[in-house]
Amino acid sequence: MTARSESTGSGADLNRQLSRVRAWIGQLRSGTRGLYKVLRANPLTLVGFALVVLITLTAVALVIVPPTSAAFGYPISLTPYDPNALLPCPTVGNQSFCAQPPSLEHFFGTDRAGRDVLSRVLTALPLDLAIGFLIAGFALLTGGALGLIAGFWDRPGTLGAAVSLAIMRVTDVFLAFPSLVLALAIAASLGRGTIPSIIAILLTWWPYYVRLTRGEVLAVKHQPYVTAARAAGVAEWRILFRHVLRNIAEPLVVYFTMDVGTVLVVFSTISFIGIGVPPNVPEWGNMIQAYSDYLLIFPWVVVFPGLAIFVTVLAFSLLGDGLRDILDPRSRRALSQAETATSGPAATVTAAGASG
Amino acid sequence: MGRSKGDLVIFVSKRLIQLVAVLFGVVTITFFFTHVAIPNPCYVWSGPRATQATIQQCIDKNDLDKPLLDQYVLYLGKLLSGDWSTSPRGVPVLPTILAAFPQTLELVVAALFLMVVVGIPLGVIAANNSGRWSDHLVRTFYLSGWATPTYLGGVVLSIAIGPLVGLPHSGNFGSIPTFPEPFHMSVLDALVNLNLPAVVDAIAHLILPATALAFINLGIATRMTRGSMLEVLPMDYVKTARIKGLSDFWVLYKHALRNSLISTVTVLGITAGSLLSTSVVIEEIFQWPGVGRYAFESIVKYNFNGTIGVVIFFAVGVVVANLIADILYGLLDPRVEWR
Amino acid sequence: MAEPLLEVKGLSVDYEVGAGTFHALSDVSLELPAGHVVGIVGETGCGKSTLAHAIPRLLREPPARIRSGEVRFRGMDLLTLPKWKLPLVRGTGISMVFQEPINSLNPAFRVFDQLSEAVRIRKRRETGQAPGVVPGTEGFDYSKREGPKPADVLARPLLPSGPEARKGFSRVLHREDFREDALDYLRLVRINDPETILDLYPHELSGGMRQRIMIAMALSEKPSLLIADEPTSALDITIQAQVLTLMKELIEEIRTSILFISHDLGVIAEMADDVGVMYAGHLVEYGPVNDVYEHPRHPYTKALLRSAPNQYKADGPLPSLSGSVPNLSRLPSGCPFHPRCPLAKPVCSDDPGPVLEVQKGTAVGHVAACYFSEEVAGLP
Repeated sequence: MTARSESTGSGADLNRQLSRVRAWIGQLRSGTRGLYKVLRANPLTLVGFALVVLITLTAVALVIVPPTSAAFGYPISLTPYDPNALLPCPTVGNQSFCAQPPSLEHFFGTDRAGRDVLSRVLTALPLDLAIGFLIAGFALLTGGALGLIAGFWDRPGTLGAAVSLAIMRVTDVFLAFPSLVLALAIAASLGRGTIPSIIAILLTWWPYYVRLTRGEVLAVKHQPYVTAARAAGVAEWRILFRHVLRNIAEPLVVYFTMDVGTVLVVFSTISFIGIGVPPNVPEWGNMIQAYSDYLLIFPWVVVFPGLAIFVTVLAFSLLGDGLRDILDPRSRRALSQAETATSGPAATVTAAGASG
Repeated sequence: MGRSKGDLVIFVSKRLIQLVAVLFGVVTITFFFTHVAIPNPCYVWSGPRATQATIQQCIDKNDLDKPLLDQYVLYLGKLLSGDWSTSPRGVPVLPTILAAFPQTLELVVAALFLMVVVGIPLGVIAANNSGRWSDHLVRTFYLSGWATPTYLGGVVLSIAIGPLVGLPHSGNFGSIPTFPEPFHMSVLDALVNLNLPAVVDAIAHLILPATALAFINLGIATRMTRGSMLEVLPMDYVKTARIKGLSDFWVLYKHALRNSLISTVTVLGITAGSLLSTSVVIEEIFQWPGVGRYAFESIVKYNFNGTIGVVIFFAVGVVVANLIADILYGLLDPRVEWR
Repeated sequence: MAEPLLEVKGLSVDYEVGAGTFHALSDVSLELPAGHVVGIVGETGCGKSTLAHAIPRLLREPPARIRSGEVRFRGMDLLTLPKWKLPLVRGTGISMVFQEPINSLNPAFRVFDQLSEAVRIRKRRETGQAPGVVPGTEGFDYSKREGPKPADVLARPLLPSGPEARKGFSRVLHREDFREDALDYLRLVRINDPETILDLYPHELSGGMRQRIMIAMALSEKPSLLIADEPTSALDITIQAQVLTLMKELIEEIRTSILFISHDLGVIAEMADDVGVMYAGHLVEYGPVNDVYEHPRHPYTKALLRSAPNQYKADGPLPSLSGSVPNLSRLPSGCPFHPRCPLAKPVCSDDPGPVLEVQKGTAVGHVAACYFSEEVAGLP
């Protein structure tokens, strides 16, 4: 109930405003304290959180200062070398050895063309990460919206029911597609390139979110608090946003967090197969593909891009997996149950009547 | 109350009808997408030095000059009659896929087996020790699997680990696995023929690709099991099982796991479908002669008919895997009414 | 008297939850002689359920942590027993009936699967095929009632003797061998048409039916000690009465030792020989039921009895205690009841608080933890 009285005097009004702000600050405080506490209790989640922050900041920094920029009139760069520059190769006799193992000059070594691997791994970061966020985010928005519609407005006999049914049938069809194969087929038929790969993944990615969102909405929709809100005359859209959306947000956030990594892997898989980004563009899957046959001869060219993917995806998975344990209403409910069970909420002594 | 076998039949037949509807959608979408994106693949197929005559011949052969809708109807008719068209070189699609399918099935089943045998107990262990070091270890393990791209795992296994432990891998074709009669699955056929060395050889060939395929997805089985076990373990019926005097093993693996499997099995069904997709990469890396490798070759060689064929074929696989998972779900959970 | 069946000494249990440490049980001691029914009564959250779960070590640790104490069952300390040995005590040694019949049967298995499992465990232990506490017989006396069934059920020879027996031993007991036993136990808990019930799944049964099956399952292991943790609280009032009648009859029939937990004073009066009153994790009074109810020696017991609706005749507000139960993470010093106690004096807040003492002018074994127990009788 939101009863707002206008004429209670500015003093009382101010007081109310103040107390509201205070309550809000208190919530924020307990929220961050809770987050801190959980992160401390769960070291893996903490690691994931720290890594995600670090990786994202690095990517943002690399976008602001591209590897071959000349900002402020000086050639500055966050990567040690130009990722595409062919560095002079040391020669022994008349043989040149371009692929140099990791050294102090080149932390990750150089590849067979004499390019610095560290610079290339770093340069690939913004691209890969952006694609992960972009595609997972797009899928979350479209799939989430469709799932909300299909879950919420499905009262039989209405237009909503027909729309919901149509959405779910189309989703079923897309869910049946073998997503990677379809993405590969689309990418192959659109021609090689970054954009076709993105389109291919976009087309196959949203159905999961429809199903997830719809399932959650259906689970929440018949909860007593929704029924109570409806009985109290709360508008449908308000129920949707205040009650339903808030309660289904958590599983979606968890899924999205983990999905950023998954998208990244699929994108690099398309590059690995050789129908994604062009060969000279620094991209992790690309780099692995180019030298996978030489894994035993100069492993660093494969291992470091591989590690980059691994660490990035692992960071997002650790965070998502931890978030699940933190945000999952069930685990929180269990926690609060344990608290009430032991704190004794009974205010008055009420020994129930004898029934024998 | 209660469920009869008749209900199950109705349930399965209803799902089969749905399957047909879904497949129709898959075929339609695939057809229009490929034909709109590439209205005339004959130029690609015939190569840059092709004469106008050969191109025209190709167009005629594939009915490419007809309106799109007519092509669609023709295509549907051909699909239903079992003629899934041919590759540019004239190799028919469906027989190729059918011949390669048992090998892929063997790989996928082996990977699923590994996921179940390794992944589920790991999930139980993690849930039972939640918050302790073994839980953290299991979580790190399955998240590492999750974080390893399939191709990277495949490459490392086939090029580095394979030679290291002396298992056959892609670079070592001293002994190519054979896929003889009657099942065209190396291990099964060797078993049926009671050929022990062949069984060992077949398993040796299967281990690395199956591990690569399973490792990535191990996390799904483990995480799902861990999650549902965490929900089941505080339940009263687990306490009931304990107070009966059952040992921890039976409490966990009979009473608790039986209930958490109900949700795990659905996820395994979805995973089985995605394993088919993933097999494309793994089969190419390990040169495993299955549908996945055919799909890879089709994609790289602009064999659109082959690609469409594999997409449709795998879609059938995905839907059938989900159907099996649904049936298993119902069998595991007596509260489910067959609808 | 010989050594009691169950002896709890100074048991303290904490819950470590994010918000702090909750002292769910503080220094609880009690004895349960074989063949007795001991009731534990108290409000929600007073720790009685924790006590019930702590005895067979069913608490989830963490969050629970047993801080100190001893739980001696037939002479062995369950708290120092290695974890893998606990199942050997459970079932045939200590069995339990839980509060929520909705969740206490496994939804994935038929009634028969679950019941036969219990019977199988008992039989294997009786015949020495499996290690474990031999089912208690001292607490069981099935001769009292003329009715053939319970006595027959529990006195039937387990396996044929002679050469047949040898064959029986060598053969692994099959599930179907227990069908008759399972049926007998269902009849024992007055289930009509047990044949049909056996093949049903728990979700196809009503709450009262499930609770009967739980009781049958617990009894089928012939436990030396049965713990009933509010077995009727979650049931409808009519079903409650049925199940209570059943339990009462069973108590008469098979004189097993029972620890009966309830928040309902009336139920305890019906069932128990002795009663313990708990408040905020402390056992504040203990004694024979009649004596405790008629001459309460702890102000909390007095208040509890006074607020029971059936004690209140005229209409008007139900009497209630002022104040509220203390937060278990911040217990008051000394006696936990002193902030609400009408008799409280400064001494009551001194640590350590009052301990259970024998009370003058009451029946044997009546103890209360109050410095001013003599004045309790004078309270309104």
